[in-house]
Amino acid sequence: MMNDEQSRKARIQLMITRVVVYAILIFLTFLCLFFFYMLIINSTRSNAELQAGFSALPHGHFIENFKNAWTDASINIPRGMLNSFIIASCCAVLTTYFSALTAYGIHIYDFKLKKPAFLFIMAVMMIPPQVSAVGFIQLMYKFKLTNNFLPLIVPSIAAPIVFFYMKQYMESVLPIEIVESARIDGASEFRTFNQIVLPVMKPAIAVQMIFSFVQSWNNYFIPALLLDKAEMKTVPIMIAQLRSADYSKFDMGKVYMFILLAILPVLIVYLLLSRFIIRGVTAGAVKG
Amino acid sequence: MSKKKENELKTRGVSNAKWGYLFILPFFVAYTLCTLIPQLMTFYNSLFMNYRDGLTQVGPKFVGLENYIKLFSPDNTGTIGILKYFGNTIILWLMGAVPQIIVALLLAVFFTSYRLNIKGQQFFKTVIYMPNLIMASAFSMLFFVLFSPVGPVNQVLLASGWINKAVDFLNIKISVRVLISLMNFLMWFGNTTILLMAGIQGIDQTLFEAAQIDGANSWQIFSRVTLPLLSPILVYTVITAMIGGIQMFDVPQILTKGIGMPNRTSMTMVMYLNNYLTTSKNYGMAGAVSVVLFIVSAVLSLIVYNSLSAQYRKPKRHRKY
Amino acid sequence: MKRKLTAIVTAISMVTALAACGGSAPASSTTAAPAETTAAAATEAPAATEAAAETEAAAAEESSEGKVFNIYAWNEEFKGFFEKYYQVPDGVTVNWIITPSDNGAYQQKLDEALLNQANAADDDKVDMFLAEADYILKYAGSEATQDITALGVSDFSNTYKYTVQAASDNNGVVKGVSFQCCPSALIYRRSIAEDVLGVSEPDEVQAKLDSWDKFNAVAKDAKDKGYYMTASFAETYRVFSNNCTMPWVDADNNLQFDPQIEAWIAQTEDFINNDYTLTAGIWDDEKNAQMFADGKTMCFFGPAWYFNFCMGNAQDPDKGCSGDWAICEGPAAHFWGGTWLMAPAGTDNPTMLADVMNTFINDEEVCSALVANEAQFSNNQKVNAKFAEDESYGNEFLGGQNDVAVFSAMTDNIVWENHTIYDQLLNEGLQNQLQQYFKGSVDKDTALKNFYNYINETYPAINTP
Repeated sequence: MMNDEQSRKARIQLMITRVVVYAILIFLTFLCLFFFYMLIINSTRSNAELQAGFSALPHGHFIENFKNAWTDASINIPRGMLNSFIIASCCAVLTTYFSALTAYGIHIYDFKLKKPAFLFIMAVMMIPPQVSAVGFIQLMYKFKLTNNFLPLIVPSIAAPIVFFYMKQYMESVLPIEIVESARIDGASEFRTFNQIVLPVMKPAIAVQMIFSFVQSWNNYFIPALLLDKAEMKTVPIMIAQLRSADYSKFDMGKVYMFILLAILPVLIVYLLLSRFIIRGVTAGAVKG
Repeated sequence: MSKKKENELKTRGVSNAKWGYLFILPFFVAYTLCTLIPQLMTFYNSLFMNYRDGLTQVGPKFVGLENYIKLFSPDNTGTIGILKYFGNTIILWLMGAVPQIIVALLLAVFFTSYRLNIKGQQFFKTVIYMPNLIMASAFSMLFFVLFSPVGPVNQVLLASGWINKAVDFLNIKISVRVLISLMNFLMWFGNTTILLMAGIQGIDQTLFEAAQIDGANSWQIFSRVTLPLLSPILVYTVITAMIGGIQMFDVPQILTKGIGMPNRTSMTMVMYLNNYLTTSKNYGMAGAVSVVLFIVSAVLSLIVYNSLSAQYRKPKRHRKY
Repeated sequence: MKRKLTAIVTAISMVTALAACGGSAPASSTTAAPAETTAAAATEAPAATEAAAETEAAAAEESSEGKVFNIYAWNEEFKGFFEKYYQVPDGVTVNWIITPSDNGAYQQKLDEALLNQANAADDDKVDMFLAEADYILKYAGSEATQDITALGVSDFSNTYKYTVQAASDNNGVVKGVSFQCCPSALIYRRSIAEDVLGVSEPDEVQAKLDSWDKFNAVAKDAKDKGYYMTASFAETYRVFSNNCTMPWVDADNNLQFDPQIEAWIAQTEDFINNDYTLTAGIWDDEKNAQMFADGKTMCFFGPAWYFNFCMGNAQDPDKGCSGDWAICEGPAAHFWGGTWLMAPAGTDNPTMLADVMNTFINDEEVCSALVANEAQFSNNQKVNAKFAEDESYGNEFLGGQNDVAVFSAMTDNIVWENHTIYDQLLNEGLQNQLQQYFKGSVDKDTALKNFYNYINETYPAINTP
């Protein structure tokens, strides 16, 4: 009897909790989607309509805007997307791989400079990127590395914040037993990392891949100063260029369409990678 | 593990030191080349008078600590600028980050709870991160349109009769701050949720099952199992949120056209730094601001790291080689 | 901030322009022109290299001039005209280095390139760059640009005086040319003028608004009839600031407020206190909303590119009021915007550079094409005069008024004097800080002190009070 009543109470409680939880989720979803709705609506309106103020309903200029944006003679958006995609995916791969590698090196091994190395990374993590940006640009000019993707990709090897995440993640989930057993099996250190540790780190890697991909995709300031050849430009530079256009070509409808197009690839990458996060990969690895 | 075995491993660890160096080498090489050298240039510059007047370079001329003295002297309005902007930054950060972490933690627990078993998880998880996909500049542009005196928010408020004169949201201290915090919250709470979720999923699920079998309620599971095991990731999110907060720049910069209106009450430290950098390339003053910024965030991060880590640091931790 | 400049090509003006002058300047004939000027310019070129020691070798013989011509710009506007109307010499590749002006990226990019000019390989040197009125002096007044008269661009008899002054350094050495001229007019609603002033034709309206005293008095009449005189607190700023009698800083780099600036502040205080204007900025939606047919604002200020492009609300087929507008000179002559072609020191293509410049200011066919096909107000007085006298030419948006004629008459009164390299951001900074005062969020004293703070951060060389 007691048990029944208790479980009924628990069920009611659970139901109330669920209602509250769903309410919160729906509210947040509304907030998040509202801006996409606004972007999409605005991308269906002509420049004149946009100048005339806000509207909650779509207009009929979506296809026209899309055509204008996609086939713009001077701003080659498909090419920009390709460039952005190359840079962002290289960054995402390099930054997660090397951050995990560095974190592993510091987490697992004992060496004299281990503590100083860790403290150093922790300390430099706080320095705002604006501090080094100007000097970096000057150096790249000196080395004649403008109009080159390397200066945009290579720095991602050293990402203190991603390193810190990997380190924290290893601390909470990397079971030492796995590394141990691999060693007993005679696997080399490098192989242990690539074949045993990386799979365990999958959720963390997927998460940071998304983040660094998005960050790199949306990066404007440094690429704007380093890339000026039309065929090298990335999407954010193109959007800025569109907004900087002279009035004969200034078309907000096209700008919104560009922004929408710019979001699509990151959205796709996000949807692909988010599957990894949702599965609890680690739990399986530990048990297996 | 026996003492003997541990010793044995330790010895092996030492002999493996070269692997440690090898693994962290790429990071340090890349960092030194791409970031450290320019940074050191900046720090070094803080001791010089060094700026551009049009296309004419002034300096570099060694001035010792003069830039720092200037930084901490009262400006034309009689306040010490950098302290004011530091205060603004902290306020803006707290207004955005506190709800961000609380909401993210709640959502992460909701999503990972077997008991709640939330339907449509994939959808919600996807959606909450989406604002982060919009470029900050585009996002600010949308906010600008929404909250302008003739924008839809004012139109709705006017039509509903709640106000009888358009509210100039972008010129009132509190509303500017709320808008900035709201934008930062929207852009980053999904990100934090995902990080925390990945952390929770990394926790051995058998621990939750065991706790449930032992009759623990959800709060107990959360506070005794989830939180302690999640603490490294939680520390990470708090510290990175703080770093992000202290480096806050693009959202207030674009929303307030770089002037931190009204009366510079929404000007952050990095916006201030940016004022020195963009036009005059004033590496002297910018360097000094950077050094202050660095010290402030290092101290704060250390405090957070130590207090949070200590609180949850359990004796049982993974041993290291 | 949208602070670009610009062309004058809306559907409206294009249609009228083409209809009026389509026969006189067929696009196909214009491309032939540049070839003639090349030879003349080339003979004078070798003398031009004083500022370019490092290009001696390249400049010694014109045939060995660079094969790559690098042009720095922040948008595509001029690129379009260049590609259409300039015949690039055989064997030369033109490179466009386009960096958007967002975040100051364009000037940063350009500055690095110019300061690095001496060390750059010939094919990487800046051979020409574009500059806006707002910051032209930064380049014209520096060693990074060179005397174009020495390169063979010396005939300024047809260009407007202020466009030459703007591109000159303090000693009067000319460093560049503008391919357009941007006199700015008072743009008024005919129907509102009729209601407030009892007249609506440009000449009659001008007579009632040709001084600030009259303008301020009319503002009160407008208010009494339920209208705003202007729709932005900064609407009249350029009209005052273009006529300053002293520069922003004195010889010792002390900040000084010109009486014109003080007058603008006083006028705006008066306008704000009496509701003659709005607290919106020049580009704010709040101001733009006033351009609809149901708007209550009588006056706007701007050049042709402004009313052709930036007054979209007024041109809206449903809610707009196209045709209900007209322009006149207003209380004082002024200009707004304009793009200059500048000659960098050390270019390895001096001959071609001079040729490009000559083409866009002195080649009448090209200039006519700019007016006829591109609806530009060209920088060639002779060509503009031709359109001004053409009675069949008129702008529909302005109710058929011949805007070229109005602008031609205005240009003589425009002066370029008392400028400094700091103007752009000082003007912008003052407006931004005072806007907060006009909106009531700070007092005037604080607003000015914030302006000084802004100056200290932006221009360390200026001494503030």
